[in-house]
Amino acid sequence: MGVSGGPLIVQSDKTLLLEVDHPDAQACRMAIAPFAELERSPEHVHTYRLTPLGLWNARAAGHDAESVVDALLRFSRYPVPHALLVDVAETMDRYGRLQLVAHPTHGLVLRALDRMVLIEVAKSKKLAGMLGARIDDDTVVVHPSERGRLKQALLRLGWPAEDLAGYVDGEAHPIELRTDGSDGRPAWELRSYQREAVEQFWAGGSGVVVLPCGAGKTLVGAAAMARAKATTLILVTNTVAGRQWKRELVARTSLTEDEIGEYSGERKEIRPVTIATYQVLTARRGGAFTHLDLFNARDWGLIIYDEVHLLPAPIFRFTADLQARRRLGLTATLVREDGREGDVFSLIGPKRYDAPWKDIEAQGWIAPAECVEVRVTLTDAERMTYAVAEPEERYRVAATARTKLPVVRALVQRHAGEQVLVIGGYIDQLHELGETLDAPIVQGSTTNRERERLFDAFRAGELRTLVISKVGNFSIDLPEAAVAIQVSGTFGSRQEEAQRLGRVLRPKADRRQAHFYTVVSRDTIDTEYAAHRQRFLAEQGYAYTIVDADDVLGPPVPRVE
Amino acid sequence: MTTLADHLRALPDEALAALFRLRPDLVVPVPTDLSALAVRAQSRVSVARALDGLDEFTLQILDAARLTRRPDTSSPDPGGGEPRAATGETSVEEIVAFAVGNATGERRRSGVAAVRAAVDRLRALFLLYGPEDALRVAAGVDEVCSPYPAGLGRPAAELDPEAAALVADPARLRRTLLAAPPPARAILDRLAAGPPVGTRPAPDAESAGPVAWLVEQKLLVPVPGAGGSGRPATVELPREIGLLLRRDAGPLGPMRPQPPAVTGPERELTVVDSAGAGQAMEAVRHTEALLELLAAEPAPLLRSGGLGVRDLRRLAKTTGLDESTAALLLEVAYAAGLLGELDLPGATTRAGADQQILPTVGYEGWRDAALAHRWEQLARAWLTMTRQVGLIGQRDDRDRVITLFSPEAERAGAPALRRAVLGVLNDLAPGTAPAPDDVVALLAWATPRRSLGREAGQREVLAEAALLGVTGLGALTSYGRLLFAQWVAGDTRLAESSDDPLGVRADADGAAGGGSPAVRALDTLLPAPVDHFLLQADLTVVVPGPPEPALAAELALVAEPESAGGASVHRVTAASVRRALDAGYAGEDLHALFKRRSRTPVPQGLTYLIDDIARRHGGLRIGPAGAYLRSDDEALLTEVLADRRLAALGLRRLAPTVLTTPHLAGRLLTALREAGYAPVSEDASGATVLTRPKVRRAPARGSVANRATDPLATPRLTTPRLLGIVEQVRRGDAAARAARRAPIPVRGGGKLDGGPAMPHTQALTVLQQAVRDRARVWVGYVDAHGATASRLVRPVSIGAGYLRAEDERTEMLHTFALHRITAAVRDE
Repeated sequence: MGVSGGPLIVQSDKTLLLEVDHPDAQACRMAIAPFAELERSPEHVHTYRLTPLGLWNARAAGHDAESVVDALLRFSRYPVPHALLVDVAETMDRYGRLQLVAHPTHGLVLRALDRMVLIEVAKSKKLAGMLGARIDDDTVVVHPSERGRLKQALLRLGWPAEDLAGYVDGEAHPIELRTDGSDGRPAWELRSYQREAVEQFWAGGSGVVVLPCGAGKTLVGAAAMARAKATTLILVTNTVAGRQWKRELVARTSLTEDEIGEYSGERKEIRPVTIATYQVLTARRGGAFTHLDLFNARDWGLIIYDEVHLLPAPIFRFTADLQARRRLGLTATLVREDGREGDVFSLIGPKRYDAPWKDIEAQGWIAPAECVEVRVTLTDAERMTYAVAEPEERYRVAATARTKLPVVRALVQRHAGEQVLVIGGYIDQLHELGETLDAPIVQGSTTNRERERLFDAFRAGELRTLVISKVGNFSIDLPEAAVAIQVSGTFGSRQEEAQRLGRVLRPKADRRQAHFYTVVSRDTIDTEYAAHRQRFLAEQGYAYTIVDADDVLGPPVPRVE
Repeated sequence: MTTLADHLRALPDEALAALFRLRPDLVVPVPTDLSALAVRAQSRVSVARALDGLDEFTLQILDAARLTRRPDTSSPDPGGGEPRAATGETSVEEIVAFAVGNATGERRRSGVAAVRAAVDRLRALFLLYGPEDALRVAAGVDEVCSPYPAGLGRPAAELDPEAAALVADPARLRRTLLAAPPPARAILDRLAAGPPVGTRPAPDAESAGPVAWLVEQKLLVPVPGAGGSGRPATVELPREIGLLLRRDAGPLGPMRPQPPAVTGPERELTVVDSAGAGQAMEAVRHTEALLELLAAEPAPLLRSGGLGVRDLRRLAKTTGLDESTAALLLEVAYAAGLLGELDLPGATTRAGADQQILPTVGYEGWRDAALAHRWEQLARAWLTMTRQVGLIGQRDDRDRVITLFSPEAERAGAPALRRAVLGVLNDLAPGTAPAPDDVVALLAWATPRRSLGREAGQREVLAEAALLGVTGLGALTSYGRLLFAQWVAGDTRLAESSDDPLGVRADADGAAGGGSPAVRALDTLLPAPVDHFLLQADLTVVVPGPPEPALAAELALVAEPESAGGASVHRVTAASVRRALDAGYAGEDLHALFKRRSRTPVPQGLTYLIDDIARRHGGLRIGPAGAYLRSDDEALLTEVLADRRLAALGLRRLAPTVLTTPHLAGRLLTALREAGYAPVSEDASGATVLTRPKVRRAPARGSVANRATDPLATPRLTTPRLLGIVEQVRRGDAAARAARRAPIPVRGGGKLDGGPAMPHTQALTVLQQAVRDRARVWVGYVDAHGATASRLVRPVSIGAGYLRAEDERTEMLHTFALHRITAAVRDE
C-alpha cells in the first residue's frame, strides 16, 4: 500500500510517536522538537505531545503554523487528520495576537493585532482591574505592576501575550567567564549545547533552559551572567546548593568570594551577586513574607531560578512583580507535580532550550548509567511481619527489610575502590546501613558544617562510601559518585528517582560507567513502587535489568542432594 | 402568429427529444398530445424549474427579451385608450442591441456572441420560441419572474399620462434630471439600480421632501397600494427614466457573461489526499466510538421523534467530540442504516414514543469491513441523505430546538445542495482549495434562483465535507472526486435507466474486486493492517498501524489502551496480565504471544512482570462444597475415603485432615452413621451441634372446654364492639364511594338516563372547560373494537381532532379521537 514510510505517527489525541530506529528519525526529531514536548523516550518509540504550551513555545521561538504542519506532514507515516492540523494552526495563531509593548508616552500597554480578541479579553472578569485607560481601539494601558499577572490571566484565557516590553539593564557589574586557566586551573570551554542554550536564552530575553542533571546547568547560569554583565540574584533550593553555586562561580568566572553573597537562614549578605534559598524567601513571620525586600535590594539585571520545577508557589507571586527584569529558569524537567507549567511559561518565560538526556549522554557529557533492580526474597519471618502489618506500615516494613543489608554490602564490595552513595528514606535503616558498611551518615539533623566536611572528604576520595537520607535528593554536587544504591524511597516519586539517578550521571574523570542499583523486596508493595519510579527512567530510555539477590551474593551454597 | 403548440407540432422528432432531455419534467407523466405539452411547458411549475437551472447572465438576457417585446397585436384591444400590453414578439437583433447597449469594439463583439449564446440556450429550453425575427416569450415566464424585468419599472405610458409626456420630450427630461437636488438624485439612482419601486416615506421623514419633489416633477409616479384607499403607498420609477439613468451601467445593469473566478491556494494533491485520508480515518473511528456507546447504552427517542439534547451532549462528551460533529456523524450513521429504532417492549403504538435508537444488525457487517469500505458507506450516505445537519441545535419557527433525528431537519433539497457545492470543487484544478466565499459567489451566479437564501447551507456542506474527509485542506481529494463522479453517474443512470434496462453498467464499478474506484483510491492512502507490535521497557506496546482483528483481540485482553489513531499504544499492567491469566492464558502462553508478535526483544521487565503475576495467580483456590469432614486423625480420614459404602458421597481430600463433599451436611452425617462411624456436626464457628432424636407432634389446637356454651347463640355485643362495627361499615362505604366509578351517562355509551345520546358539542364544551381548569373528567368513548369504554383522565389539550389527556393512575398520556368520544362528565 502507498504508505509514505515516515518515522512519525500522528495520533488523534495529539501524541506523536517517533520510531527511533527509522533512518529519518534524527531529522524528524530535529523538526518536531521545537513544538512538541518529549513525553517518553523508551528504546524504540519516543512519544511527543502537542500541547498549547508547546505550540506557543514554538511560536515564541519564531516558528509558524505552516512549518509545524509541514513537519508533521513530511514525516508522518500515515495520513494526518485534517482536524488536527486545523487545531494546530488555530492554537498557534492565538499566541501574540496580544502584545505587551512599551509605548513612548503611555508606558506599558497591551496592543492587539486583532481587535476582536482585545474586546473579548477586556470583558473577562479575570482581567478586572489590570487594564487601564483605552488609548485607541487596539491599545490599552497596563499598570506596570500587573505585567506578570496579566500574562498569567491571558494565558488562562487562551490568548497568551507576547512580551515585547523589554527589560531594564540593571546595575552593571563586570563578570567574565575565565576559560584560559590563568589562575592555575586547567583551561576549559563551554560545551556546544551550553553555548546554544545561553544564546537562545539571551535572544528570547527570558525563559527556561531544560538540561538533565549533571549536564552543567550552573555553567549555563554563569555564562548568562557573563552575558548580562549585571548584578544577579540566584535563587536555589537549599544552602548546600547555594554554596555549590558559589564555589563554581568563583572557579569559573572573574567573580571573587567577596562579590558573592549568601542570603540564607544563617547569613544575610547582599552583594553584586547574591545567592538566596527558596526557604528563606518563603519564610513568614506573622503571615507576612519578611525577606521580600531582597528582590528590590539592588537593581538586579538578571534573576536565575535554579530547579524551576520545584519553585514554591509564593515565589511565582513575587516573580509576577519582576517582569521587567531578565529571568533565567534552569531545570531538568518542565513537569511539575502541581501542574503549574503554565505559570512557568507566563512568569519566567517560554522554554528556550531543551535537549533529551540520551542525546547528551551520547555526546559523552554525562556518564552512561547502568540501572539494575536487585530483588531480594524476604525471609519467612519477614514475610509474616509484612503480611500482618497495617496498610500504612507495609511499605516501611518491606523497604527496610534486613535482608537487604547483605545485598547492599555485597554491592559495595563489588564496587570497591569507587565512590558509592547509599540512599535511603528511613533513618533507622540508614543507621543499620551505616553500621554494616562502616560509613558516615548524612541526614536531616546533620549540620551544614558537618555535611560540607563529609562531602568534601567524599569529593576528595578520602571517603569511599556515604549513606545519605532524603536530604541528598536535591542539588548537592558529588562529582565522583559512580555508584548509587537506593534501598528505600518516598513511595513512587518519579521526581526523586530522576534526581537520584542524576547523582551518578556527572561525567567521570575516566569516563567510567555509572551504576544505579535499586534494592527491592520481592512480592511486596516495594516492588510496585519501584516499578512506578522506574517507569519514568524507562521512559527516559534507561532500560532496567532485573537481577536476583542470589546473583549478587555469589553462588549459593551447594545443596546436598 | 403561431402558438407554442403549433410551433412544437412543426418540430422534427430530434428537436422534441432534445427538449425533453433538457426539461425532463415535461414527460412525467407523458403528455397526451402536443397541445397538452405546450400547456405544460408554459405552466408555472415547469417554467420555474427551467429557470432554476439558469445562470445570472442568461436570466438577464431573458429579461432583455421581455423588455424588447412589442405590443401584442393579436390580443384584443383593451379599449378605453389603454395601451396594449407589451407581450408581443421580439427578435434576436433587438435583444442583442438592447443588451449590448452602446459598447464598442472587442467588447461589443464578445458581448454579442455571449448574448446570442444565451438566446440560443433560452430557445433550446423553449422559454423563447418562434423564428429569430419573431421570438415570443413562453407564457409562464411573466408569472414566475419579477414584474420588473431587469429591475426596471413599467413604461411611463402605463403609469401616468403626464409622466409619459415628460419622457416623450428628451430635452425636458434631461433638464428636469439635471435640476434634481442631490438627495433626490440619490433616490433616483437607487431606484434606477432596481428594484424600481420604493415605499413612500411618511410626511415628516427626512426623505419626504425629495420624494415629493420627484413626484411633482413626474420623475416618480405614485402607485396605488394594495390597500386601495388613501395615499398611494409606493412610488415607481418609469422604465424610460430608469434606462436613461443606467446609461453608464448598461440597460440591464452590471452584466457578468462569465462566472466569477474561484481562486484559492493550489496545494499538492498528495498533501490534500493525506490530510483528507487522515480525516476519513478519524470520521470512521469516531463513528464507531459513537455507535459503540449507543450499543452499550441505547438512547431513548423523544415523543417528537428526535434524540434529546442531553443525550447528544453526553455522547459528544464521552467521545471527546464537539456536539455538531457528533450530530453529523450520528445522522450520517443513521442515513447509512447503521442506526435504527427499536420499539421498547410494552410500548404504546404512538409513533416516536417509547423507542430507543441503537446500532442495527448492519453495523456488525460495517464494523468488520475494511476501513475504506466503511468510509465509503458513510460518505455515500452523507451525499444522499435528505438531512440538513446544520439545523440541529437551532430553533424552528415555533421556537423549539431542532433535535437530532427530528423531522424538522429534513430537507429534500439537501442532496442537490451538496451536489452543487461539490460540483464547484470538482470543476477546479485538482488541489485547489477555494475560499468558501468564492464558492458561494459562484453558486449565486450559476443558479441564482436556487442559491438565494441557501448560503449558510452551502458553507455547511463545505464544513461537513472537510469533517468527513471528502476534502482535505479545503480541496477535493482524489478519492472524493471519484466518489462524487460515481454518485453523479449513479444519478444519471437512474434518470436514463431505459438506456441500460438490464443494469449491466451498474456492476462495472460495483463490489467486484477491490470495490469502487473511490474505495481503491482511498485504500492506497490508508495504513495497511499490521500483525506485530513494538515492545518497550516502560511496558508500552506500540502497534505501528491499524491492528489486524486477531491482534486487536489479543491486545484487548493483555494490555490497556492508552492512545489511538493511525497507530495505537497500549500498556501492559499487572491488572491486564491478571485479566489474561483469568481468561485462560498461562504464563507461558503470554511469553509466547509477546515473543511472536513483537518486532523488538521482549524487555526483561515484562518477563518478570508476567512471571511474578503468573506465579501468584491461582495461589488461592475457591470451590463449592456442600459440607466438610475434618479430623485430626489422618488415618481415620483415609479409612473414610477408602470406604466403598461412602463412594456415592464424592468425598475429596483437600488436606491431610480435611475432606469435602458436594452433598449437604445432613446427608453426610446420616451416611457416615449408617456406615458405622461416629461423626458429630459443627456450626460455622466450629462449635459442636448436638443432635437428639426428634419427637413428632401435630400443631396445637384448643380444647372444647374453652368454647362458648351454645354454638347457635348470637355473640354478645358489647358497646365497644358495636362501635367498632359501625366504624367498619362506614369505612367500607366510604371506600366503595371512593372506588372510582364512571357516572351513568359515561358508562351508558353517552345515553343520558337511558335517553338520547349526549350531544357531541356538550361533551366538547365540558372537555374544553376541563382543559382550562386542569380538572379531571370521565370520558366515555368507543374503542377500536367498537366497544364502549370509559376512563378518568385529566385533559391536556384538544387539537387536530384529538384529545390528549393524562391518566393519573397509570401516569400515561392517552389520545382520543374526538369523533369517538361519546360523553364527558366532570369528576366531582
